[in-house]
Order: sequence, then C-alpha cells, then structure tokens
Amino acid sequence: MKVVFLYIDPGSGSYLIQVIIAAVLGALFYFKNLWWKFRSFFSRKKQEPPKNDNENA
Amino acid sequence: MTMKMPELPHHPASFRDPSGFVFQVKGIYYRQISKSYAEDYEQLLQSGLYAKLTARKLLLTHQELPENLSGSPEHYKTLVPEQLELITYPYEWSFDQLKDAALHTLAVLRLSLEHDMILKDASPFNIQFRDGKPLFIDTLSFERYDASLPWVAYRQFCESFLFPLYLEHYSGLGTQKALLSWPDGIPAAVTARLLPWKCRWKMGVWMHVYLPAMVEGRTKRGEGPKRGGRPAPGKGTFSKEKLQHILQNLEAILNRLGTKGDDSTWRNYYEATILSRDYLEEKERLFREFMQGLTFKTALDIGANDGYFSHILGEAASVLAIDADAFCMNTLYRGLREKNILNIQPLCVDIVNPTPAIGFRNRERASFSERVRVELVVALALVHHLVFGRNLPLTDIPGYFAELTTGYLLVEFVPLEDEKVQELIRNKSRYHLPYDAHYFEACFGQYFDIGKKKEIPGTKRILYLMKKRPSSL
Repeated sequence: MKVVFLYIDPGSGSYLIQVIIAAVLGALFYFKNLWWKFRSFFSRKKQEPPKNDNENA
Repeated sequence: MTMKMPELPHHPASFRDPSGFVFQVKGIYYRQISKSYAEDYEQLLQSGLYAKLTARKLLLTHQELPENLSGSPEHYKTLVPEQLELITYPYEWSFDQLKDAALHTLAVLRLSLEHDMILKDASPFNIQFRDGKPLFIDTLSFERYDASLPWVAYRQFCESFLFPLYLEHYSGLGTQKALLSWPDGIPAAVTARLLPWKCRWKMGVWMHVYLPAMVEGRTKRGEGPKRGGRPAPGKGTFSKEKLQHILQNLEAILNRLGTKGDDSTWRNYYEATILSRDYLEEKERLFREFMQGLTFKTALDIGANDGYFSHILGEAASVLAIDADAFCMNTLYRGLREKNILNIQPLCVDIVNPTPAIGFRNRERASFSERVRVELVVALALVHHLVFGRNLPLTDIPGYFAELTTGYLLVEFVPLEDEKVQELIRNKSRYHLPYDAHYFEACFGQYFDIGKKKEIPGTKRILYLMKKRPSSL
C-alpha cells in the first residue's frame, strides 16, 4: 500500500470546496465560451477566443 | 527504566514535514531527504522539473552529498542547498512582497503540474527573497501528482496568502499584523468576520472565504467532513483542467489586489518637510563623505522611509532597509522592483518593537535581533523620534545599535530646538531629559568611539560616524 504522508490537514471540507469552486468556474468558462461564439457568429471580424480569467476578486 | 530518545539534530523550524529536515553543521545548512520522500525526490529530478525551476530561478539550487551527515536511520540523501544570507518572515513583508510570494508559489505549482508533480504545501515560509525576488526554498514540497484529486494545499494557500491580502485590500488591516497573530494562516471564519459586508457580493471572496467559512463551521477543524473528504488515491473525481481553472482564478484575483495606504504617517516625509531640498543635499554630501572612508559589505538603514539613503548605501553594500511604516516599505519595494535594483531588501520592522521570536519553544522563527548583524547601522533623523515620539530614554538606544552592528554607526542628532522635535513635544508635558549633543555623545560614547562629527549646514543637526568599541558588548 502506498503510504501518504499528510502533515497538513486537508480535511474540513477543503476538497469539497474545491469541487464546488471548480464546478462554478467550469460553468462560467462554458458560458463565456458560448457567449463568445454567439458574438463572433454575428460579427464578421474573426476574434481570438477569450482566456479563462475570472476576474472576480 | 527510561528509554533514551535522542532529539533529531534538525533546525528548530524544520520539524513539520516527515519527508526530511534542515540541520546545521559548522555554520553550514544541510537538508536531509528521508527514505519516505525518495520517490518524490527522484521524480523532481528525473522529470526535469528541478532543472527547469532552478534555471528560471524559481527554486533554491542544491548539491547532493554522499555521506549521511545527520546520522539519522531515515537518511536517503543529504543536500547542501545554496546558503541564504538573511531569512525574513512573511509578517515582515509588505503587501506587494506577500503578493509576489503568492504568485511565485502559484508559478511553481503551475510548472510542477506540467511535470506531473504538485505542491503538497503552500506556506509563505517556503519563500525567501534573494536579489530582490521571491525564491522557493523548500525542496521537499513537491510530490507526485494524482490528477483525480484537488490541491491538498489549497486551504493553506488561501489562509496564509490570499486571506491576509484580502484583509489588507478590503479592510486596510496590515498583512504583517494579521500574519504575526496567525503565522500558520488566518482561518476562513476569522477572515469572513473581519472583511467588510460589501465583500459578500464579490464572487471570488464568496468562493474562497465565505463558502469555506460556512463549511468549516459545520465540521471540527482536523476532523474532516463526513462527505467530501479526501478520496483514496486515484479514486477522486477531480481533474487537471479543474485544478487549472482554480489556479487561473487565484492568479486573476491576486493580480487585482492592491493596497491603498493613503493614511501613511510618513508618506511624502521629505516632500512635506520645509527643510527639504537644501537640507537633503547637504546631508547627502556629508553622508557620502563619511561613507567613503569605510569598508563594509552589509548595512542596515533604520527608519529608511522612501529609501533615499538606502539607495546611496546600495552603491557600496547590500542593504537591509527597515521602517515601521508598511506603506513606505511597499512603495520602496515596488520602486526597487521596477528599477531592478537587487541589493536592497525592504522590510516592515519597527525598531522599537522588532519582530519577536515565535513558534514552538519560541525557537521556530528567530527574532529580528537574532537574525540581523551588519557592518554598518544607519540611523538618520531617527533618535529624536525614539526619544520624544516613543519615550525611549536616550541611554537605552546606543546599546541596541551596538548589538546590531559589528563595525560602524552613522547617526544623526536632531537638537531639542529643531522644528521637528518641537512638533513632537508640543502636546507632551513629560519627556526624557537631558537631551543635548553633549549628553548624546556621552550616551553613545559608552559603546562607540566617535570618528567624525559634522553639523549639517543650515541646521543645528549633527551627523556622526562612530566605530563600535570591541569591549562594548
């Protein structure tokens, strides 16, 4: 069996939180992309797809 | 019968990670890699990650030694890391120093992921500043990446980097004060209570602070929740793409955070003072004249303010510039970063209340006074602030300066009739006397020989160059 040394405590829902955050960010990214495709469909200029930088500090 | 349990010879701050430890032999620091960390260590080297990290100056370099110097049965390898001249702590860094350290940690993580490795911890104590830039110093922080799992050090990263930066950004609560109280990170629940209400509508704050605070409230720290705990290796449902989304989000948030610092007491100190230009020019001329005859490689500028004289010192030596005003130090840090000046290190340290020793047995993190020894201490327009602003008796000051310097002291005397002193005592009915040049010389004369002494033209202020007497301490 592989021994995992965990000397910092990852518990208390840190994993659960990352799962939720990743889901939220994933959804945001998905809709951003969708919005970009929608916009580029109606504009003639070819644009670069947006980067996934969620700037919500 | 009692069993003899020898204490491992590790450095007092190097005990948390069972993968190895740092120890010192004859003044040189070594790092032991223990057997339990062997596979991760080999991957760090063989994947090319170590080579890339060190080539980009992101990680401290090391050499391997064949012998088991520590004598520990767990020994796998002994490393001689590049030796660092000065260790500084996150509660001494200014806002942008902590922010750069955070971004540096994420950059290391990003590169690690490309080599199928991940950071198992994300503590600011793993970062040191060398040549003006952050440097990752913990070779034991890398472990093989299991893409099915989220980032094990996510919470530690938030608590010890993101939350103090959030608190400074939104509440103006200095990162130093917060991190000195919570050196292992500020819990989400505490951060949530300290942040202003308006933050609730910021998505980043909600995700990284309020959400964990809510979840933490339902589970006891250290116990782990009934659902959503760490799955078995390879059995998680996470992915690299998800982790990269979180990483990008953290980087975007960090890049937007800033400090206002509008209320800084010492801001525009030189611009605002009417003594300004002529005084500064004359003082600089004398300062350079005094400096010229000296040979020194290290200097400490106490009360450095905007770093005007630190820059001059930097022409001859590596300089530690300290000031109690975190905003001044942040401005200095940013200026140095822009101009790519590498040999001046700003730190937020109040000389009347220097960084204490903290951690287990008060030995884990050394105090400022234990860590700092320089060949030249510079204290310009400072002593009168200590005497009249902070009520330190003049007799108590030279002893501390003598402790910090191994060679010289460049100190300015500002007389009682000086406008700045008058400002300080205007509303005070009691202050320490006597205070005059004669008494000043007598006090400093207990520890130093006065080498040069000149009045700064146009003022009654006196600049002294003193040499520490070998018998003084």
